[in-house]
Amino acid sequence: MKDSKIEADDRLLVEAAQQDPSRFAELYELNFDVVYAFVVRQTRDRDAAQDITSEVFHDALANLGSFEWRGIPFLAWLLRIASNAVADHFHRSARNRRVAELDERLEVQLANLTTDILTNWDPYARVFRSVKELPDDQRRVVEMRFAEEKSIGEIARTIGRSEGAVKQLQFRALQTLRDALAFKPAQKPQGKASKKSGGRNG
Amino acid sequence: MAKQNQFEQLDKLLDVILSRPRGSMPRVKGTLGTFARVFPPLLDLPSPDFRSRLKADLQRRALMASKPTVAREIRQTATAYLIVNNAAAAIEFYKNAFGAVEVMRLDGPGPRIGHAEIRVGNSSIYLADEFPEYGVRGPQSFGGSPVTINLEVEDVDAFAAKAVAAGATVARPIQDQFYGERSGKFADPFGYTWNISTHTEDLTGQEMQRRMDAMKQEGDPSSSAAPATPKVNFIRKGFTTLTPYLVLQDAAGAIDFLKSTFAAEEVFRDIGSAGGIHCEVRVGDSMMMIGGGGPAVSWKGESRPMPFHVYVKDTDAAYRRALDAGATTLYEPADMPYGERSSGVKDASGNFWYIATARGDSYKSLGAPTVQPYMHPRRAEPVMRFLKQAFGAVNLGQHADAEGVVHHATIAIGDSHLELGEAQGPYQPMPGMFYLYVPDADAMYRSALAAGATSLYEPNDMPYGDRVGGVKDPFGNEWCIATHFKDMTP
Repeated sequence: MKDSKIEADDRLLVEAAQQDPSRFAELYELNFDVVYAFVVRQTRDRDAAQDITSEVFHDALANLGSFEWRGIPFLAWLLRIASNAVADHFHRSARNRRVAELDERLEVQLANLTTDILTNWDPYARVFRSVKELPDDQRRVVEMRFAEEKSIGEIARTIGRSEGAVKQLQFRALQTLRDALAFKPAQKPQGKASKKSGGRNG
Repeated sequence: MAKQNQFEQLDKLLDVILSRPRGSMPRVKGTLGTFARVFPPLLDLPSPDFRSRLKADLQRRALMASKPTVAREIRQTATAYLIVNNAAAAIEFYKNAFGAVEVMRLDGPGPRIGHAEIRVGNSSIYLADEFPEYGVRGPQSFGGSPVTINLEVEDVDAFAAKAVAAGATVARPIQDQFYGERSGKFADPFGYTWNISTHTEDLTGQEMQRRMDAMKQEGDPSSSAAPATPKVNFIRKGFTTLTPYLVLQDAAGAIDFLKSTFAAEEVFRDIGSAGGIHCEVRVGDSMMMIGGGGPAVSWKGESRPMPFHVYVKDTDAAYRRALDAGATTLYEPADMPYGERSSGVKDASGNFWYIATARGDSYKSLGAPTVQPYMHPRRAEPVMRFLKQAFGAVNLGQHADAEGVVHHATIAIGDSHLELGEAQGPYQPMPGMFYLYVPDADAMYRSALAAGATSLYEPNDMPYGDRVGGVKDPFGNEWCIATHFKDMTP
């Protein structure tokens, strides 16, 4: 399983970024949701999670040269950095016991998982990614309502639609997100297995 | 109808979830129950700003980490290192004026830039902010720089026109030089002078010497070829590019107010050509002109009060002095989120004074003069477009909210600053008058008309040694466009 196409693409991207750091942006786009999801599930605090995520990517960029391809996914490497950063965060707030347990569990997981699984197992990451893929008006409504914590009235004024229209956009968006979460194992294999279906069964 | 109901129900449920402490979810049944798994991740959704900001940060960091292949090609032995007051604005200016490319910058310590590198043509130039605490100061702290930097370009006329449009001023007009160049000298708003040149003739050193010797003879004081008028700076001594000109029915009262509130120093007062007071005062490092009526003065006319941002050492004390001098309060002294303690008053003539003390090393914000005239246009964009087109103004930075309302912008014209915040509440448009020193009043007058201003009077030589033309911009502000041509003894 480790020699999947995804792993090969992953490797090309990492090597390109090692040659030319300006290509790190591609690795960032691919992995942001999973890293942020991993962090925010532990911190339960958006501000802290954003700070830690920023730290993780800056660390990764700074140490990209030391990443060696040994068959362990790049994402696993990122999550290990994230795990240490979260641990540091909790050490600072004296809640280290919980993190120690988490750490061991993670080591086991990371050693055995493929990029595909790492990318798709976390429902939080799937929701974040799906939000990005929503039609623009729906995405703006969701971002304002949840990330910026604006009221329906404020959102309606900002995007120049009625409150009723905003509630409808919100409903449609959440329907799409709900469906993205409902895992459908490959019903009709169409030649290649789709990326998503690889997750649970991979 | 049923659908409508679903939208409402989901929204009500979200209101409940969003108002609860994190992690406590209400139990929901029915259709809404199918959404239950979506809520927890959404409550932790990253802010879209954060995602893009981090990406931009990483890209900048990555650029700095890139192998310096380009830098190696242009590696040079000697590199100018410019210390400036407000390096961020300087980088922006060099980009607009010289087509510079920012190669890297190191932010800090503090809000300043510790080191930056730009590339102009094939050369690197280093830049940093002033750090007076380490003895690092720019030309504006010394009254100018003795060093001129030479830029050799393909087409000096086109290159210089762009630089002037971006806010450089002409120190010596472009002309063909005896040493085989066509060149001119230009001053930037940060205190540096640039000689911009294009090579026109291949000459031996001997030939240059011969031409220079020949010129020396022609230029002998006894020779009739000596220039008819001695050269003077186009900006009158003691002034900067832009001076606000207050026209008030009680000019004398306003002058007294400025003296008692801001310790203004009266530099000059006379009765002007229109029968009113013409007075020039200095407030800190800034000049202001005040004209109009007063006791025993025949002048009659409308007051044109204006808003100003004034830096003082102690806002609270200046605010009390202003009230004692007859002003009324606009807002009481308070700490502002942008790093200033500020208060606001309206004086008896109707001028608004935003009295501020910056926090930090200096009571003035980095790079700002003591007095900055303010504008409260209904919309900022057309005004900035006009100022840019007419006078080569540069937007040094603006702050707008999510709805696009520009709350604050700093505009540089030549070596001066002007601030701008779109009209709201009590802060409505107060069209004012400005006295603008430029290298060529006739050219700038035409440029202002081309940008949409209307003529008040054509450029004329005035007895006080300035050539002045007057225009009114589309927003009601009047501009006296002047070139100083003769120093007068007071």
